[in-house]
Formats: sequence, C-alpha cells, structure tokens
Amino acid sequence: MPGLDIEAYQKAFEGEIEAVDSLQALEELKVKYLGRKGILAQLTGSIPQLPQGERAGFGQRANIFKNRINLLIAEKQGALIPQGGPYDLPAASGVDIGMPGYVQEPGHLHPITQTIDEICLIFSRMGFSIVEGPEIETEYNNFTGLNIPLDHPSRDAFDTFYLKGAQHLLLRSHTSPVQIREMKSTKPPLAVVVPGRVYRPDATDASHLFMFHQVEGFLVDQGIRFSDLKGILEVFLKNVFGREIKTRFRPHFFPFTEPSAEVDISCSICKGAGCSSCGQKGWLEILGSGMIHPNVLKNVGYDNKKYSGFAFGMGIERIAMLKYGINDIRLFCENDLRFLRQF
Amino acid sequence: MKFTYNWLKEFVDIKISARELADKLTMAGIEVTALEKRSGDFVFEIEITSNRPDWLSVAGIAREVAAITNLKFKVPFAAAGLRPAKGAREKPVFQINVEDKKDCPFYSATIIQGLQVVDSPDWLKERLELIGCRSVNNIVDITNYAMFEWGEPLHAFDLSKLAPGEIIIRRAKTGEKILTIDQQERSLDPRVLLIADKSRPLAIAGVMGGQESEISFSTRDILLEAAVFNPVLVRKGRQLIGLQSDSSYRFERGIDRQTLESSRNRAVSLINRIAGGRIVSEKSRGVLSAKSGKIKLTALSLEGTLGFSLPLGKAAAILDKLGFRVSRSKNHLLVTAPLFRRDILSQIDLIEEVARVYGYDKVPSTLPKILPRPQVSTQNDFVRGVKNLLVALGLNEAITYSLVDRGSLSGCGINQDGHVEIENPLSLEQELLRPTILPALLKAVAHNLSHQQNYVNIFEISNVFRMVGGGPRETLSLGIAFCGKQAYLSDSGRIEHEVGVLDLKGVVEKILEFSGIKKDYAFLQAAPGEIKITLKGRELGKIIVPPAETLDRFEIKNRNTVLAEIDLELLFRHVGARIQFKPLACFPKISRDLSIVLKEEVSLENVLREIKSVAGDLLEEAAITDFYRGKQIPAGHKSLTISCVFRSPQRTLSDAEIQPIHARLIQVMAERFGAKIR
Repeated sequence: MPGLDIEAYQKAFEGEIEAVDSLQALEELKVKYLGRKGILAQLTGSIPQLPQGERAGFGQRANIFKNRINLLIAEKQGALIPQGGPYDLPAASGVDIGMPGYVQEPGHLHPITQTIDEICLIFSRMGFSIVEGPEIETEYNNFTGLNIPLDHPSRDAFDTFYLKGAQHLLLRSHTSPVQIREMKSTKPPLAVVVPGRVYRPDATDASHLFMFHQVEGFLVDQGIRFSDLKGILEVFLKNVFGREIKTRFRPHFFPFTEPSAEVDISCSICKGAGCSSCGQKGWLEILGSGMIHPNVLKNVGYDNKKYSGFAFGMGIERIAMLKYGINDIRLFCENDLRFLRQF
Repeated sequence: MKFTYNWLKEFVDIKISARELADKLTMAGIEVTALEKRSGDFVFEIEITSNRPDWLSVAGIAREVAAITNLKFKVPFAAAGLRPAKGAREKPVFQINVEDKKDCPFYSATIIQGLQVVDSPDWLKERLELIGCRSVNNIVDITNYAMFEWGEPLHAFDLSKLAPGEIIIRRAKTGEKILTIDQQERSLDPRVLLIADKSRPLAIAGVMGGQESEISFSTRDILLEAAVFNPVLVRKGRQLIGLQSDSSYRFERGIDRQTLESSRNRAVSLINRIAGGRIVSEKSRGVLSAKSGKIKLTALSLEGTLGFSLPLGKAAAILDKLGFRVSRSKNHLLVTAPLFRRDILSQIDLIEEVARVYGYDKVPSTLPKILPRPQVSTQNDFVRGVKNLLVALGLNEAITYSLVDRGSLSGCGINQDGHVEIENPLSLEQELLRPTILPALLKAVAHNLSHQQNYVNIFEISNVFRMVGGGPRETLSLGIAFCGKQAYLSDSGRIEHEVGVLDLKGVVEKILEFSGIKKDYAFLQAAPGEIKITLKGRELGKIIVPPAETLDRFEIKNRNTVLAEIDLELLFRHVGARIQFKPLACFPKISRDLSIVLKEEVSLENVLREIKSVAGDLLEEAAITDFYRGKQIPAGHKSLTISCVFRSPQRTLSDAEIQPIHARLIQVMAERFGAKIR
C-alpha cells in the first residue's frame, strides 16, 4: 500500500479502471475505493493523525481524488451499458433493439377537422372569434337576408335541400347564413370565422359531394375597406400554402358582397406555368370574397353609412385536397382507416 | 356561353391575341373557362355571372373589350331597323292581346311575307356551329344569330298556321297541352305563360315554341316576336316543365329596350337580306322604360370602400368607356347607367365597376385593427376537447353523411316516426336527416372490414335530427364504433383483445372524467345488448351490442362489434369544474388487498360502493387490480383482488388502525355478498 500517498492511489485506480470490462468488475472496484471500508475512507480516516498544518491540504486532495473516482466510474458505466438506452439491462434479457417499440397506436383527427383547425387557428391569431350555426336554416337566413331574392337566377348557384312539411326550412347551402345570425345578435365591431357542414343536391363524383364543409369569415367595423380584405386574405393564404405563393383577386359576382372577388393562388404544382391540376391556367381558385353588400348590413339592422365590412368563404375539402394532394373528394366520407391514419 | 374571336372583331378592332384577350376578360370578371382554335377562328367559352345579362351577347362582350382595351365599339351595319314597305297592307290583320301587363310588359310582332325558307348560307351555319348551335333553316338560324349577337331571344311563327285575328299572351289553363318543337308533349297549368291564338297555345312564352307553328321549308309568311316577359314567370315556367333554353336563360336575367330593339332590327335586316320577303307591318303592345336614374358617386365613398385614393377623373373615364353618362363635380360624379346595365342600382355598384376595370391588383393590401372579443369557453371548445381525448385514446375520427335512407335505419331497429324528411332528395340515400350516427358508423366499419382491417375504432361528432313538437331539432351527438380484435406485441408475445362492452364503458368514463362529472351518472343494463348511460336521471346515451341480424345487414361477420352514442349537448350542460387541484399526500399509505370469490350475478359496482361506505374516510381508493374466471374457481363465480389504499392527510397511519377496518370489510363481503375469502 502506498500509505498516505494520494497520487499513488490515483495512479493505481486509473490503471485498474482501465482494465475493467464488466459492470460487475466496476462495482467491485467502486466498493474497493469508495466502500465503507474502502481506500478513500481509510485516507480520510487518517486525517486526525496528520500534523495540524497538513490536515486541510490533505483533505482537499482526498476530495479531488474522490470526485475523480466518481467521474471515471460514471464514464466507464456509460461505456459498459448496452447501446440504445440508459438502462442497466442484463445482457441475458436478449432485447433486440431492432424490434418495433411497444406503443399504443394513436388515433387520428379527420383531415377535414385538421384543415378547419388550421384555418381557424390562423384567424384566431389575428383576433377572429370562432362561431358555429345550425345546419337547418330558414330560407330568409340562407337567401333573402343575404340579398339573394327568391325566384332569381342568382339562386341557381345554390341548389338546396328543402325539408318536407316545414315551410321555408332548408339545409343550409353555405355557411353565410351565420353572418345574418351573428350580425343580428351582436353589434359591431365583429370579426368571426364559422366552420361547418353545408349541403347541396349534387350528384356525387370525384369532385362533388352533396355534403361538404366550408369556413366563412367576416369582419364589420367602422372604416373597413377592400384593401383590408386583401391584406387579411393574403396573410391567411401565405400561412396555409406557404410564403412563396402568389395571390390574385379576380372580379366576380356574389349577391351578398360588392365589390366581390374570387381569390386564386399560384398553382403549387407547376408554380404558375400551367399544368393539369390547374387546368393549364397556373392559378387555383381558392375562395370567394368581397365587401359585405350594404343591403345585407341593412337587413341585419346595421347602419350601413357608419359600418362596412368584408366577408369570405371557402370549401374545406378543396383546400385539404390541394394541401395533401388528394385526388378524389369521396375519400373524405369513406372513412377508410388506411386513409385516416395518413393524417 | 360561347362566342368567337372573329365575330367579336366585327365590333371592336382587337389588337391582342386570343390568349391575351382571354386573360384580360378573366381579370375583368368574365371568366374564360375554355379557349379552342377551330376553323380559322377561336372559340371562347365563358361563365357569365347572373348580374350581367348584357354579357350574354357578342355585342355586350365587345363593349366590355372596347372598355378594357381602350378601343372603340363600332356597329359595322346600319343599326336602325327596316320599316314596313310603303303601301304594304297586312292581311289578315292581327291584334296583340296581352291578358296581364305584369306578365308581359312589352310584345312586338313584325309580319314579313313572301320570304323563302331554305338552308342558311355557309357563313351563318359555320358561325352558329362554332358556338354549339345546330343549324335548322335560314329563318330560325337568323333569330338565333340575332339573339347570340345582341341578347334578346326572338321567335318566328309560321303565319299561315295561326288562326287569324289575334295573338294572345295569357296564362295556360289547367290541363292544357302543347307539343313543343323538341317533339315533347307538355302539360301546362296557370303558372305558365303562353303565346296563343284563338284556338290553341302556340308557344311557352320565353321558353320554347310549339311544333305546329314552327318554321318549315314551305313557310312563306312569318310573325317575328320580340317581347319582354316577366323574368320570375319565365323562371317558374321553365322549372315547372324542366326545360332550360338559351331563350329562357336570357329572359330570366332580364331584357331592356335597347337589347330588344338591337336584336329585332338585326334579325329583320338579315331576313330581308338572306330570305327576302316584304315587311308588311310592325306593331307592339306595352312600353319599355327608356330611363335610368342618376347615381351619385363621391370621392369619399370611393376611397372609403376601396382603401386608397383613386382620382375621380380616372373613375369618370372608366365609367364613360363602359357606356355610362357621367357629369363631374369637384367631389363627386353624377352617373347615368346605360339601359342595358339594369344591375346598376346604387353607388356601391359604380364603385365595383370602377375597381373592376381599374384592376383589383392595383388595390393596396392593408391590415385592419381587430379587437379580439373575450371568448368564454364554448361548446365548440368542449367538443374539440372531447375529440382530442378520443384521439389520445387511439380512436380515429370519421365523417359520414348526415342524410340517410330509411332502410339503413329500420335495419338498425330504429322506429319510423319523428324523422326529419327531405323534400327533394336526389336519391334514396338522401331521404332523411339522420336521428342517429350509428348506422353510418356501421357502414364505415363494414367498409374497413372489406378492406382487410382486423380492428376498427372510429368515432364521429355531428348533429342528429328529430321532429320535436312539430318542428325539426338538431342536437350534437357523439357516436363510437369498435369492431374486431385489437392486437399488440409485448414481452410475452402477441396479445389479442376482443372488443367488448367494457372497452366502450372505459371510453365513456374517460369522457365523463374529462367533463368534470364525478357523480350522478350510472350505467344500467336496459335490455340484452343495451346499456343505458344516465346523468342526473336523464338518458345521456347508450352502449349497444348490435344483434346479429343488424350486423348481417351491414355484412359484418364474425366480429365483435360494440357501439355507443352520447348526447353531447346534455353532457355540455353538466360540465363541471374540470380541474380542481388537490394537495399531494405527504403521509405514507397503507395498502390491503381483499381477494374474494363472488357469484357472477353480484354487481361490482355495489361491492365497491359498500367497501367505500364501510371503510370510511381513511380509505383513499378501492380499485380492482386483478380478475379471474376459470378452472381454479367454481363455475358461475368470479375471483377478484380489490386493492384498498388507506391514508390520512394529517398523520402516518399504523397497521393497528387499519387492521380492524380490513377485518370488517372481510366480514361485510361475506355477509352482504356471500363472498368467499381466498
């Protein structure tokens, strides 16, 4: 034994730990040095016998040695433990880390829900509230209140399911009736998005369903302008489809907005060059929008000289199809698990 | 609608290519949906919005093209109509008799005699064929040509087939019939407006002519009709008989005097040129307004609506090019719309016109100030929370149609009353608004089984519908379906688990827990295969094991299937404080297991309730930690381990304190439930 020569012990320890090749040998080494009757205990136990002037310095060096032992043991332990985990697994358990991990398969939200969530989140961040409305609507809220006269060709764009035996009740053909409901019950300022199911008697094919989803949005306040509509929708579309897309506002007609615009984004597939996805146009039609028609504001009892607003609406299935590259709208209602689990 | 590049060029001297023109039109609001090069011309297919009937003509498009390309709109032929020949005498004399001016505000009849009906000249045939209109004979083709060029639908009758004396515009009589030129016999009623002579109907006004009076190659004399019919009446008439024509399409959208005269004049002069004959008379009933009101457009409104300052002079120039009459003051314009712009009623219509032609792309983008409304926790948030919970529990969200067929409901044993029915379904699958989500989920399960899935776990949250007190009511519902065998790997290999009622009970319990509902609910066996879930005595929902015949109907074979449906609105009304922090226990617990054997019929709910009441306040939790049925215990019995955890919030408990409670529990188990202690 090197007596009280800490440096000699340290040298010996470093040699010994180098040779250790199992967790068991490491444990033995640890006991030898750090155990209750181990070398370090002996060293510190001998402090009282040292001359007064050496005690403090010796104690310090013993302590440094102890830290060094701990550090090297921890390092060695790390090197000896089987790769892949911090667990002290007995080698005999035969875990093959190539096996799939054990985990419960998580569920998946429907891609339509995820798309609605994404859209609503973007508008929420900009200060819009999320509101819903009933699917059974009055003819007034669905049409007349929105400046769509009965028996007018502008209604042709909105084929509608009517309820039997219930006068003037129908399944809403768009989410816009919630504009009427919300504005009638709330004074401006108002910034709202409305997700929901809508219904139109269309024959089902790869691009049509008789039940689908829309998100409607509108904002009413003093001094709201067409330029505000452009600003908000550009922020929204870049959030959904990426910073690099271009947007285009194209004149259109909707009975409930004026001026009205259809909004296109540059085709994400051909980058505007023209391909089969965009019908060689380089642009994809995404949503309809416009300044809320003064007649609509009047219909809900707002002062249309004082307040103005904009509104917009979009089909969720279409946006989800573009986002995820889905080519058949019917997949959304088939609920094939192989489909749902991809989202 | 279709038109061609060369046709358009007759009215405006276009300098740009067809492709460039298509882009310009699209950006001005005339969406070009197809452009095709054919026979040395280009055919444009466009979509015209319902507010712009004036664009339903080549001349109308040409006016727009002139405005947006800064060119002149010109009419390359004499625009004035031909007058009746001097000294011509109408024989026999016809009176126009309009029964109700509201149905037909204006009717004109031009009588041309001694013409020749033959095939159309090639240029006329070709041009019509390019835009998809079949050539019939020169007279019919000319009336079509004039309509496509100017917008007013015209109709020519063979004068010799008309009973002399009177042409009558009247409502149809109930049961009256007419054979239209498409060889269909159509039954009419008083909702339909007719053109008739004294003895019979000649045409359905504004929709289609009758076969008996149609122009044939032997026709010599014609009556050329140019009229304005009530748009609503034309719309209802064509809906009633299920027939949309180029004519009804235009009448529904409205005709003005300018359009009518231009079309008629064009047709008369073409007939004169191509088919000969003599104009013997031209007469009309009714008047058409020739006035448009003045509308004020202020600089303030223009800027206030668009969000940037567009000079009034620029606005005036745009409106002028579009055919408006504009007088300018310092801060506003006074604008008179042309007759063919019946869509222009107020200032906002003018603002849109100016913005549209100026270019939406030149409008800047700004961001409005939005003051967020403080939002209380809504049902919407709650529903979102439930969805997240279910997904975390491994379920997949489905979306199925809210409309169903009666058959799929009766297949699930759902009674036939109180359904909300659809008046105009396209198919049987759209007959009813569903009162339950479950049949649709069974269909989705079946779809997945047919695609070799062994395990299906799906849910849907949507409205369900019912007639309540004579009116339809929609409520939000949650449907869940589990089917098949769940399999997973563990250290002991593959573990398979057949779904059952308890899988769904577990999910429902987690939903209740999420909703902050800790008491006042119960699961009650209501019938074989049906467990009722009640909340405060009201039915919250049920868990159902569908009978074999139901599963057969959906072609679900040899698979365990369990369903649940929950009234989410009722649940939302009872949502409690969801999260209430409890201080963490700081004294140690003492656990005691009760291992007992019970008869099958003993309800564990009762057993656990009894344990809680007997053990008193020191019992923190009693949980079933093991469960066994099988060879080692008597038939008709179940063996359980119930782990009881005791803890005091104030002190460390001693074994001596718990021992008597444990002994009492054993005693009560034996006395009350006939339990045998293992």
